[in-house]
Amino acid sequence: MRFKRILAIIIKEFREILRDPLYFSLAFVVPSMIMLMFGYGISLDVENIPFAVVDYDKTQLSRDYTYKFAKSRYFNLKAYVEDERLLDKMLNKGAIRVGIVIPEHFQKDLSAGRDVAVQSLIDGTLPYRTKITKGYVAVMNAAFNLEVLSRYIAKIKGIPFEQTISQVNPISLQVRYLYNESVKSIYSLAPALIGMILLMSPPFLTALGIVREKESGSIYNIYSSTVSRAEFLIGKLFPYVIISIINANILWIMAVSLFGVPFKGNLPFFAAATAIYVICSTGIGLLVSIFVRTQIAAMLVTTVLTVIPAWLYSGVVIPISSLDKIARIEAHLFPAMYYNYIVMGSFLKGVGVDILWKNVVALIIYSILLFTAGYLLFHKRVKA
Amino acid sequence: MAEMAIEVSHLVKRYKKHTAVDKISLNVNKGEIFGLIGPDGAGKSTVMKAVAGILKFDEGIIRVFDVNIDSERNAEKIKSRLGFMPQGLGLNLYPELSVEENINFFAHLRSVPKDRLSKWKRQLLDMTRLTPFRTRRMKNLSGGMKQKLGLVCTLIHEPELLILDEPTTGVDPVSRRDFWEILMHLLREKNVTALISTAYLDEAIRFNHLVLMFQGKMLAQGEPDEILKMVHGSSLELVATPHSIATDILSQVFQTEATGNRIRLFVEGKGFEEAKHTIEKILRENRIEIKDIYAREPELEDVFIALLKKEHPDSDSSPHPSFTHSPSIAPSFAHPPSVAIEAKKITKYFGKFCAVDNASFSVQKGKIFGLLGPNGAGKTTLIKMLCGIIPPTGGNATVAGVDIHHIKDVKERIGYMSQIFSLYLDLTVKENIKLYAGIYGLDKKETRMRLDWIIDMAGLEGHEEDLAGQLPMGIRQRLALGCALVHKPEVLFLDEPTSAVDPVGRRTFWDILLHLSRKERVTILVTTHYMMDAEHCDHLALMYAGKIIADGSPEKLKADVTIKAGTLLEISTNRLLFSLEVLEDTGFKGPALYGNKIHLLTHTPDEDIERIKSLFSEKKIEVKSISKYPLSMEDVFVYDITALEQEESYAV
Repeated sequence: MRFKRILAIIIKEFREILRDPLYFSLAFVVPSMIMLMFGYGISLDVENIPFAVVDYDKTQLSRDYTYKFAKSRYFNLKAYVEDERLLDKMLNKGAIRVGIVIPEHFQKDLSAGRDVAVQSLIDGTLPYRTKITKGYVAVMNAAFNLEVLSRYIAKIKGIPFEQTISQVNPISLQVRYLYNESVKSIYSLAPALIGMILLMSPPFLTALGIVREKESGSIYNIYSSTVSRAEFLIGKLFPYVIISIINANILWIMAVSLFGVPFKGNLPFFAAATAIYVICSTGIGLLVSIFVRTQIAAMLVTTVLTVIPAWLYSGVVIPISSLDKIARIEAHLFPAMYYNYIVMGSFLKGVGVDILWKNVVALIIYSILLFTAGYLLFHKRVKA
Repeated sequence: MAEMAIEVSHLVKRYKKHTAVDKISLNVNKGEIFGLIGPDGAGKSTVMKAVAGILKFDEGIIRVFDVNIDSERNAEKIKSRLGFMPQGLGLNLYPELSVEENINFFAHLRSVPKDRLSKWKRQLLDMTRLTPFRTRRMKNLSGGMKQKLGLVCTLIHEPELLILDEPTTGVDPVSRRDFWEILMHLLREKNVTALISTAYLDEAIRFNHLVLMFQGKMLAQGEPDEILKMVHGSSLELVATPHSIATDILSQVFQTEATGNRIRLFVEGKGFEEAKHTIEKILRENRIEIKDIYAREPELEDVFIALLKKEHPDSDSSPHPSFTHSPSIAPSFAHPPSVAIEAKKITKYFGKFCAVDNASFSVQKGKIFGLLGPNGAGKTTLIKMLCGIIPPTGGNATVAGVDIHHIKDVKERIGYMSQIFSLYLDLTVKENIKLYAGIYGLDKKETRMRLDWIIDMAGLEGHEEDLAGQLPMGIRQRLALGCALVHKPEVLFLDEPTSAVDPVGRRTFWDILLHLSRKERVTILVTTHYMMDAEHCDHLALMYAGKIIADGSPEKLKADVTIKAGTLLEISTNRLLFSLEVLEDTGFKGPALYGNKIHLLTHTPDEDIERIKSLFSEKKIEVKSISKYPLSMEDVFVYDITALEQEESYAV
């Protein structure tokens, strides 16, 4: 093993990446871009649901009912309309996601103690959002019912309204959300994105970097020289690991400062675990580069191997625990899941080595397997 | 017995079902320049990679410097002693690195000590005249410079064995000559061994020893002179009228190649007088007048084709030009000359880069116009403008009487065949032709007629139902030509059509083009960097760095150079490099190494022959031969470019 030869390869690799605008942006711009786009673009929070109301009653009580919705942060009143058909139109256009129809004699019937039916039309295109929206509507409705009831009791019994409220609501639920106290989805999303991006970007860079040499023929410089396999692989991969570690830093800073995600864990531990994770995903790129010959193929295979599992099995979208059996086994086969535990634990739970060590061990094993396979399969005397 | 550098016996390499190399054996002595010659797909690269220890093979034994290359571990043992340059102009270099950074990278890979590196690097840079460009990025170098840099990088660790895979393909003739000269000097000085492949048959004379390869098999092996003698026969060149009928008749009997107004023949098994007699008899019977007939130096191409026909008697080589026997060949004066392509100061800029610079020329209807130049000279850009694919930045041109800005009208009148033969490889021959007929909106009847015509014209009988992807390159090329002709275009553009085709295929292809131009009166514009192709054209334009630097008929271009620079002398001696030095020192202008001979242009050939003879006997150099030699297109090209470069350097 000659350090000078490794160094020559490292320097050459860095020069190429820094001077080639396409590679430079793939290495340094794309990861941050993904963070920005997904961070701002995807919100799993269901808030500010646009809605419109047809109020056939136009009384004090019907307006109160509407205000109940409008006041909350979950709903955003877009319009009062005259006709139900207009509601349909707005729903079709996507201008609103909920339409509420308050019937005539709403106030009169309620005051007389008769049942009233309020119709709500909910956009059902996204089942996940629809269910949450329906829940919100039901809660709003229940709260209004309670108020109406309390007011009625207060009037009959002649006691103050506030007192009645607590009497009809004897058990009050105290919720404290752990880890992500304000239940902001970006707090979970941004750390998860770090894991996702660091699974995609290093293999892309690595696979393209090696396959590019195969495609151009410059790999023959290596094949026909005295550089050993290990020297070449170390020299070639080292720059990509370094670049990815720089990216990991940038992404962490973005998560903490731009998206305001609190970091509660042990920073040195997290940094070390991240470095291992990056080495591991670089290994995926190495393995891909051995099996393909063109840059296009390298991109396709890397996409299938990293982007999809990163989305599905890293727990970004669906928690691992709610995956079905086969999917859960699959999730364990990809490094994304283990790192996701580390990210979530470090950012939100503030736990450290004592709890997360198993995941780190999994990543180390994963890395060793990938690099051993890569080393054994890389040859300087090839079949074709 | 000389020591062996490389011993290869019964090498077999298969890629899946395809056998790329089939029982090749060769021995390379130390200090020898050994050539592997053959068209694309002959298996040259495979042999070289196997020898370099970077490709596994299926059968046979390879020994390099007495090491049996049978495993990766053994292959590693020889790598410090060899330098390998893969195929593709500068493709193994790093475009983002500067000239010097590239060299340093290769040196560091090979652990070249610092002091030796700086000395050797300076020497190599000077020799290749790359010193002024040390800091320039590799991607901004010209083709010839890239190739030289590639050579420098391969040589930087002073290997004992050089393996160069097609180092001269796609390089302009000037750089090609430079390249060979540098290489020869180095090889003799350092006594290294070289294994070099080339697709240019005319480079064969530069080797001590060579192997002719075709489709993975070895056709012949030996010294160039030995191989030339392998097939007994004689080469002739003649002028006869009517030219095309003479060509048709002769091509049915002999190896024939028709150029503009001459016919070249190779008559197997006969001496010159006997061959001449036979030809005269045949032509007299057909009432064809012979104007001139003379012997010609036999070329490797003649031998190659003769050997090929012996090895592959069933290989489809000649098309069946039955259609050519239409007796109604009108003499050319029946058609008033009219202009088919006219370019006026046409210019194209890509950003600040000027790809085509004020090109003006005109092509008569029914003529073959050749656009010659190295890679990157602007040929493809010019063709694309004439086809209406990209708009010019300045100037204008008409094609078949239509302004090139009227894109739709131009496209109806032209046919275009690209370098890569735009065929659908998973369609059959028939389906491809029908598809193109459909694209051009031919009706059923027309389609059937054109289909029959194309199959006949291109010699595709028996291949109608074959998939295009399974056809050999030569036939595939003819199918592509047929597809470009489906709508009866008046003007046909061919962009480097012969790059991937073997000599047999190339001759056949030119026969077809000649028939098209002479009988169908199709105007043909063809680009090429093969100087051999140039001889076939009626009119040539030499392109260099976006400019047209000379144009005229091949004969005129040669005559111009003769007037300007004199007659060519070819000198062969026993001490080649020393002779070259002597000539340079005595003040002869521009003697150049050409294979194992020296070429020299002079205005006073007869005097100089005597002068050189006495000069050499003074210096104790044995003169093997010295004689006047006809100029080749390559000589013309080299002369014109060198003159241009000198003018530019004076201007600066």
